[in-house]
Amino acid sequence: MSRREGSLENPQADSSVSSLPLLEAKIHQTHSLARLLTKYAEQLLQEYVQHQGDPFGLPGFSPPRMPVVGLSAPAPGHEGLPAPERLQLDARALAALPPLLDVVRRLQAELNPRAPRLLRRLEDAARQARALSAAVEAVLAALGAEPRGPGPEPAAATAAATAAGVFPAKVLGLRVCSLYHEWVSRTEADLGQLVPRGPS
Amino acid sequence: MPAGRLGPAAQSARRPPPLLPLLLFCVLGAPRDGSGAHTAVISPQDPTLLIGSSLQATCSVHGDPPGPTAEGLYWTLNGHRLPPELSRVLNASTLALALANLNGSRQQSGDNLVCHARDGSILAGSCLYVGLPPEKPFNISCWSKNMKDLTCRWTPGAHGETFLHTNYSLKYKLRWYGQDNTCEEYHTVGPHSCHIPKDLALFTPYEIWVEATNRLGSARSDVLTLDILDVVTTDPPPDVHVSRVGGLEDQLSVRWVSPPALKDFLFQAKYQIRYRVEDSVDWKVVDDVSNQTSCRLAGLKPGTVYFVQVRCNPFGIYGSKKAGIWSEWSHPTAASTPRSERPGPGGGACEQRGGEPSSGPVRRELKQFLGWLKKHAYCSNLSFRLYDQWRAWMQKSHKTRNQVLPDKL
Repeated sequence: MSRREGSLENPQADSSVSSLPLLEAKIHQTHSLARLLTKYAEQLLQEYVQHQGDPFGLPGFSPPRMPVVGLSAPAPGHEGLPAPERLQLDARALAALPPLLDVVRRLQAELNPRAPRLLRRLEDAARQARALSAAVEAVLAALGAEPRGPGPEPAAATAAATAAGVFPAKVLGLRVCSLYHEWVSRTEADLGQLVPRGPS
Repeated sequence: MPAGRLGPAAQSARRPPPLLPLLLFCVLGAPRDGSGAHTAVISPQDPTLLIGSSLQATCSVHGDPPGPTAEGLYWTLNGHRLPPELSRVLNASTLALALANLNGSRQQSGDNLVCHARDGSILAGSCLYVGLPPEKPFNISCWSKNMKDLTCRWTPGAHGETFLHTNYSLKYKLRWYGQDNTCEEYHTVGPHSCHIPKDLALFTPYEIWVEATNRLGSARSDVLTLDILDVVTTDPPPDVHVSRVGGLEDQLSVRWVSPPALKDFLFQAKYQIRYRVEDSVDWKVVDDVSNQTSCRLAGLKPGTVYFVQVRCNPFGIYGSKKAGIWSEWSHPTAASTPRSERPGPGGGACEQRGGEPSSGPVRRELKQFLGWLKKHAYCSNLSFRLYDQWRAWMQKSHKTRNQVLPDKL
């Protein structure tokens, strides 16, 4: 008996069985969204380094890996975690990104006021990160997994060290854009492992 | 790129405006992390300099030994390694740099001056802003759409390129009283323009000027004084229709409506018409279509599609003595002239082009005269009436297929 026949002929069947196609569709959609946002994140990075000037766009450019309050890169052991845990980390990181991207946008509005496309991409990235985080949360809920839980305080609400100058601000913006790219592509990979293979 | 030679220490530096007060991150130059990385500080941080000036900078390394010493450090500027002869070791932990005859900054976010350890790792960075103070903006021109708003444009100074972000601010005030106001909607009709959407007074002059400011200084344009009523423009005439004039193969009739936005105000409108053949880019302009809402184009090619546009100048509004400002052209409207019924050379029953078997010399001269009159007086109704009647008679006498319509003018 196929899943569809089961849901038609037996309305009393387990709801998780009847919602399986819905879950698969949700995962598939969220995976497609993550794939699209990975492309956008690459474009954002390219646009960003172009406006900071060399050496930012040069191959081999390796600025210090500055720690960012409230967000770090995916850990080396991330791939070995169970799927729900990976998605929880993805959702948490994506939720932490929008305020950081907003700060970078405000900085770049001072440094590069005549770069409307860069500023727009940064604004879009914040919105996109929020959307993808919510979509991943929805997948987690459909999987019956725990929500991601409260993350760190939004970065805008905490004052840490002040910037020592323009160059560090450029480096930090690069770091945030890189983190955004790392986490959306990480999310794409994690969802890709859940996408059912073969015809649905 | 700066020239590779030592120069006098003639540094004119000015710290740039502070960035956002709240930044959320650890910074380059913070105490080292557990990995044992060392950091440095460049001085000055983010200086602003005139083109052609010199800069002396230092890179001072921090951190517990063993760590990089000044001996192994080197500089890059915008990713290019600077010649060693420009650097000098001041002490064990400090490397100095002397740059002379600086060129304008390569990007608006500042040139990236970076201090590197021997292994190439980045220890510190500073952004240089090298440019020129702004020159006086000039050539301010303004116009008001239907007396409701004011848009102004200007030219940004003699050379324009300052290599630094330069902010332009359009200011205005009523001439005899009132405070300075600042325009807020920029780049509406190009990069150096601003739009004032409302709260404008009529019958009283405004003073308008532009202030340009960047990290190296500011400049102010001359003041332009104007009355809104002297710079009024309006919408293009709506409902432009182009149609044939009966069977007349070389004429088209153009009709339009005067712009409705100004219909309640006293003014004498002027109109201009322009037209072109479908596959041409050359427009012909009919000037001096005074206060009419129709016109007949003549001397056109038969069997040809023409595009026509009309625009309006609302001069003399409320008694203004000034010329007024032409509106945009209306959307192009197309129509075709009738094909010529007279067969071409070598085809069919031949008739001499433009001739008639029974035309005598008087008729030929009359035809030539009226043809000339029509070409040089497009909107002269009297000549059209006479010419139309004569053409209609010509066509009828040659047994053409087209019926001649009665003159409706």
